[in-house]
Amino acid sequence: MTVVIGFEGSANKIGIGIIRDGVVLSNPRRTYITPPGQGFLPSETARHHRAVILTVLQEALEQAALTPADIDCVAYTKGPGMGAPLVTVALVARTVAQLWGRPLVGVNHCIGHVEMGRLITRAHNPTVLYVSGGNTQVIAYSERRYRIFGETIDIAVGNCLDRFARVIKISNDPSPGYNIEQMAKRGRQYVELPYTVKGMDVSFSGILSYIEEAANKMLASAQCTAEDLCFSLQETLFSMLVEITERAMAHCGSQEVLIVGGVGCNLRLQEMMGVMCEERGAKLFATDERFCIDNGAMIAQAGWEMFRSGQTTALPDSWITQRSEFTSAGLLLSGSTS
Amino acid sequence: MAAPVGMRKVSGKLEFALDVPFPSSREASIALQSLSPDREPRKGGISKELTVSGSTLSVRWMADEARILRVSVGSFMDHLSLVLETMEMFGPPVPQ
Repeated sequence: MTVVIGFEGSANKIGIGIIRDGVVLSNPRRTYITPPGQGFLPSETARHHRAVILTVLQEALEQAALTPADIDCVAYTKGPGMGAPLVTVALVARTVAQLWGRPLVGVNHCIGHVEMGRLITRAHNPTVLYVSGGNTQVIAYSERRYRIFGETIDIAVGNCLDRFARVIKISNDPSPGYNIEQMAKRGRQYVELPYTVKGMDVSFSGILSYIEEAANKMLASAQCTAEDLCFSLQETLFSMLVEITERAMAHCGSQEVLIVGGVGCNLRLQEMMGVMCEERGAKLFATDERFCIDNGAMIAQAGWEMFRSGQTTALPDSWITQRSEFTSAGLLLSGSTS
Repeated sequence: MAAPVGMRKVSGKLEFALDVPFPSSREASIALQSLSPDREPRKGGISKELTVSGSTLSVRWMADEARILRVSVGSFMDHLSLVLETMEMFGPPVPQ
């Protein structure tokens, strides 16, 4: 039996999860929620994580009914993400690893999402759509490593949704994306927006600028409602994501799709992806908000894979990184992925 | 608690030094290893050196400007307090 504790705090969620051989023993989380119209900034987010991290750690151990002596390995998010929040979480992970005399494993955040999705859904070899506030990528495991088949060329899909929410002052509680999803259900009229798929890639910044301007004009003159805009934005963005996912599937002959990342818990996205999969005779795998949204267990799971394949991170190499090193991290994991 | 050794100006550079006493050399070295890996966020203009001697963690900064020095020392103190609090709640270290 191998028990791994995972620390995640690369964006506005701080989560600590404990996994024993594929079983999630605990996975507490806190979210830093900003007022409507405001995003989360690195230093304030770090302050939030700093204030709650030790309480969350205690909760993780208590809920799992374990003591530090039961932990075999300490995993933490090495990156990518916001610098200050990453450092806060890494400091605690490094300190407890040393206090408890256990090895440390630095995990790539993106790999955490993919490995957690595979664990929960039992998807075997899926084409992965990774969609969140900071990332938009279509990934497939091909020739013993994760490869990116398509991605955003500017902002992430979740960033596009979050920033639109700020423009029309939608609440960030529990998340701007969740509230857009609820409002979109009441949308009646489709407002045409730019559709920007570029081969295997997508672009969202132009759509955001367009809808920002449209929102100001059309809402003021009552040509459409905020609900109509939420609906139109979701339909457009998600159609683009389904299109590039389908293209990647055709390219690697894959018959499985796995959606991970915070935007992945959007049921409309899952529904649209489901229609495409049905038409192709493929299977869709998705998880709910517990595991889609950033959490500690996903870092524990990827850490478990790395630890079991003999990879640990020496303390001097445990620096955090804001940039993605996805392909090299994929190479690291390749030996451990069945 | 941490004691500033002093601040002075050496060859146009600002220098700041801090000594932090720990209950044992083991804890001082844990703090050193937890606080050392991350580089200063900005390139140039500042350097920071951490060392342990016995049960004391010593930090020495050299900076071009007071503003940069202040930010770095401030953020170090935040990080140090988090490490100390973690040690209090989840320590003491297991015997080696």
